[in-house]
Amino acid sequence: MAFTRGRLRAREHFDWPLFLAVVSIAIVGVVNLYSATSPYIDDPRRSGLADMYVQQVYWLVVGGLLGTLAAVVDYRSIERFAYVLYGIGIASLLLVLWLASDIRGSARWIDVGRFAFQPSEFMKLFVILAVARKLSDDPRTEARTLVDLVPAALLFILPAVLVMVQPDFGTSMIYTACALTMLALARLRRSSVVIFIIGLVPVSWGMWHFGLRDYQKGRILSFLDPEADRAGTGWHALQSRTAIGNGGLWGEGFREGTQNQFGFLPDQFSDFPFSVFAEDWGFVGCIALLALYAFICAWAVNIAALAKDRFGAAVAVGVGATFFWHTVFNIGMTVGVLPVVGITLPLFSYGGSSTLTTLVGLGLLMNVSLRR
Amino acid sequence: MKLFVQRSDVGEFRRRYHFMVLGIVVAFAILSFRLAQLQIAQAQNHRAQARRNIVGRVTLATTRGVIRDSLGRVLAGNRPSYDVYVVPGVIDMKETWPRAVQLMGLGASEARQEKARILSIRAEDGKRKLQQTLLRVDVSRDVVAALETHAADLPGIDVVPTPVRHYPYGQVGAHLLGYMREIDAESLARHETQEYRAGDRLGAVGVERRWESYLRGQRGWQKVVRGQNRRAQRTGLGERYLEEPRRLEPIPGRDVSLTIDIELQSSIQKEMRGHLAGAVVVLDVRTGRLLAALSKPGFEPNVLSGEQGKQAIRDAFQRLSSDPLKPLLDKTTSAVYPPGSTYKPFSALAALSDGLIDPSAEVDCKGGYEFGRRYFRCTGVHRKVNLHEAIVQSCNTYFYALGELIHIDQLAKVGMDFGFGVKTGIGLNPEARGRMPTRAWYARRYKGDGFRGGFTLLASIGQGATTVTVLQLALAYAALANDGTLYQPQVVRSIETSSGTTVQDFPPRVRSIIDVDPGQLALIKDALTGVVVDSEGTAFNEAMEGIDMAGKTGTAQVSHVTPRSVDPKRVWYFNRDHAWFAGYAPARAPEIAIVVLIEHGGGGGKNAAPVAARVVEAWQKLTKRRLATRGNDSTHEAGAHL
Repeated sequence: MAFTRGRLRAREHFDWPLFLAVVSIAIVGVVNLYSATSPYIDDPRRSGLADMYVQQVYWLVVGGLLGTLAAVVDYRSIERFAYVLYGIGIASLLLVLWLASDIRGSARWIDVGRFAFQPSEFMKLFVILAVARKLSDDPRTEARTLVDLVPAALLFILPAVLVMVQPDFGTSMIYTACALTMLALARLRRSSVVIFIIGLVPVSWGMWHFGLRDYQKGRILSFLDPEADRAGTGWHALQSRTAIGNGGLWGEGFREGTQNQFGFLPDQFSDFPFSVFAEDWGFVGCIALLALYAFICAWAVNIAALAKDRFGAAVAVGVGATFFWHTVFNIGMTVGVLPVVGITLPLFSYGGSSTLTTLVGLGLLMNVSLRR
Repeated sequence: MKLFVQRSDVGEFRRRYHFMVLGIVVAFAILSFRLAQLQIAQAQNHRAQARRNIVGRVTLATTRGVIRDSLGRVLAGNRPSYDVYVVPGVIDMKETWPRAVQLMGLGASEARQEKARILSIRAEDGKRKLQQTLLRVDVSRDVVAALETHAADLPGIDVVPTPVRHYPYGQVGAHLLGYMREIDAESLARHETQEYRAGDRLGAVGVERRWESYLRGQRGWQKVVRGQNRRAQRTGLGERYLEEPRRLEPIPGRDVSLTIDIELQSSIQKEMRGHLAGAVVVLDVRTGRLLAALSKPGFEPNVLSGEQGKQAIRDAFQRLSSDPLKPLLDKTTSAVYPPGSTYKPFSALAALSDGLIDPSAEVDCKGGYEFGRRYFRCTGVHRKVNLHEAIVQSCNTYFYALGELIHIDQLAKVGMDFGFGVKTGIGLNPEARGRMPTRAWYARRYKGDGFRGGFTLLASIGQGATTVTVLQLALAYAALANDGTLYQPQVVRSIETSSGTTVQDFPPRVRSIIDVDPGQLALIKDALTGVVVDSEGTAFNEAMEGIDMAGKTGTAQVSHVTPRSVDPKRVWYFNRDHAWFAGYAPARAPEIAIVVLIEHGGGGGKNAAPVAARVVEAWQKLTKRRLATRGNDSTHEAGAHL
């Protein structure tokens, strides 16, 4: 009975704007990935990398199916398992540290047969669900103090620390930014806000001295003064800016951007796909793409506002925040307004775990939207 | 109150949504603004940087000019040296490396050493492991063939041909030609504007150095599009980014033709085989052009130019610079020697022109000459000799008497007229000036009035403070032979482009016409003929009959100061006299002047004169043969016309 009613409502409420925006970005992303990896086509030693965009299509299809599943199951039944899923996530993060198969100096992956997946990616969703559950379970009418938010904050601080140890500063930052955005939903006393802001100073000092590794500090320092280290850490950032600027107003054209085609962009398929896009399509293309990203972020807030319960609203804000912070950090890094941190651009960067996570997250958003 | 608050109450969240949307708008506005800054405001700069990233210049090598002798034979040319390079970051040390070792025929220990070097470069974290590292220089043709055949199976091993200087005649004429050396940091700083780069080779000593700017040519360049590394690059893209002009053709170096006859030079080398050290100069008395110039001992320019690798260069220099016979010194121009009796004709001319002596007047030689409290020895007891006999028999006593009459400045003046004490201007290797001592010089030397008459006596027999270079002596005898014309010596006859067009020709240059009385000169020349022809003559030798030449022998005493580096067992050698012969041929109508110096060779008549005679003989044979072939050629042509 409930199921039929839900299905009916689903047909009425199918969120076409969200769906179309996501599909558009995904298509542009795959096309851009083709451009990004085309320098490898003629290289017999790395021709495998040239097929990356096909791989990405597979991930999008699998992610789409999982996302549909996440949209179809009523989110209120997911709410019940929020803490269980969170527990599984924490366990797998501990497992990663335990197994630690070392990739690029950091342990992030678990090998399952042919695939290696990154629990820290999926953990983003579990953090959203757990924090949303906590917020939902604890409704208040009067303004809260900081102490009231401590139990919810612990829910993101624990995985953030575990991921930091890997070390994966970027993901840890995403957990924090995303969870804080969600907690911002709660009404706080003015004095608490002030205390929170003042409290940021010792926390960042502590992070700098005890939390960050040297290479991470180097990235931040070279962001503050890119000319000081042109050949080293600042090099990636410099080449990325050159690529984007080289795009100009109209772009160099599809697969014509020289910075990418001649190998000056590092990690052009994972961390810097936006630079490839900006070089190929120019300012005009970039603004169009930014508009799509901005739309999805704003639409998530809209879904949250229309949600009929606290859990749904919190989940919508959480998914939207993840999407927003990923986008802003990544593009901010490529254009040089933020330091270089390995944070992917949703639906644009190549990667199985991150694509699946993004699409399942967007499925949850759709879920909330369907049941408003 | 709390009872009414439901889990479904979304009221608490409501007021936050506006802030969130505002945050989104602000964040994206900042990103858009930044994009506008990069892609519109600064687009020009970034585009220029992107072009600089991919457009580079590749140097196009030029070829060094060839040096030829007077008959067009190549004395210094270029040949490819096949050098093997390895790219440490690319080569497969398990499969490719053993294969390459086997094909190159490397020894086990050498292979192990090289492997360690490659592995250490691989371990580095830098650009170097993707660059070519030199493995072997100048491998044999067989190895080149083997490596080229298996090139496809040997990624990371490259064979690169580089031109190296080659001297087909080896040691022959080494001081004249010079050799090539790698540019050092100091010269690099000095010549930076002239497009020299680290690792370039430039001419050291001789013609190679003097004519470096002509020989070296000019590099070209070509613009190319290249990626950050060779692998990440889409082929076919990028030609359009090259601005005109895209290429500057290299200009090959100019060819230099010398006045030297390498065949004559080779035969001189052969005739000097029996002697350890010395110098020979042969030049054309009608032009002042050098036909041959030998300085002994010499060096192997191919080795010094790097034919056998850098270690061989270091070893060779180590050996050459410690050799007491000074093989690196050009003894024809850079070193001075007392001329001994070969100077006597000029003393005689000095006295004659001042009217101090009567050629027919005789001096009684009793084996020496008393002057003041000193006794000056002669080579023997010559009894009564006039000027002619004194020169023929090389009587010192006669010239001591002459020295008592003449003022030392007059001796020096005539000497300088014949080019002594002055640089000849050959401009090849660092040139020594020699010394014609005057009163003023002695005053400077001995601080005031140290001059004694004995100095003039010694100067008139070419000893004492008088020193000359071998080339000066040859030019002075050429001036005797051609009746008073002093030429500027020449080694380079012309400069040509690589296609053979003459760019610059060097006609003979007269330095001065010497003011000398023909009658007096005839007396001297007659005496010089007597030296060779008379049975009394110091250079007379029955075996030399039929060789038409004139000249003067000399046996120059050396100061008994031996360099410290000399082995005490060999000191006797360094105390021996220098043997000289200076003259010209043929005696009647002279064409060439010749000077032979044998360092520590003993008596000039016994040691230097025979060498000179055989060199003249060799020259005669060469001339005859060439006249004959030229004759044949003309009859041939005549036949064709019929």
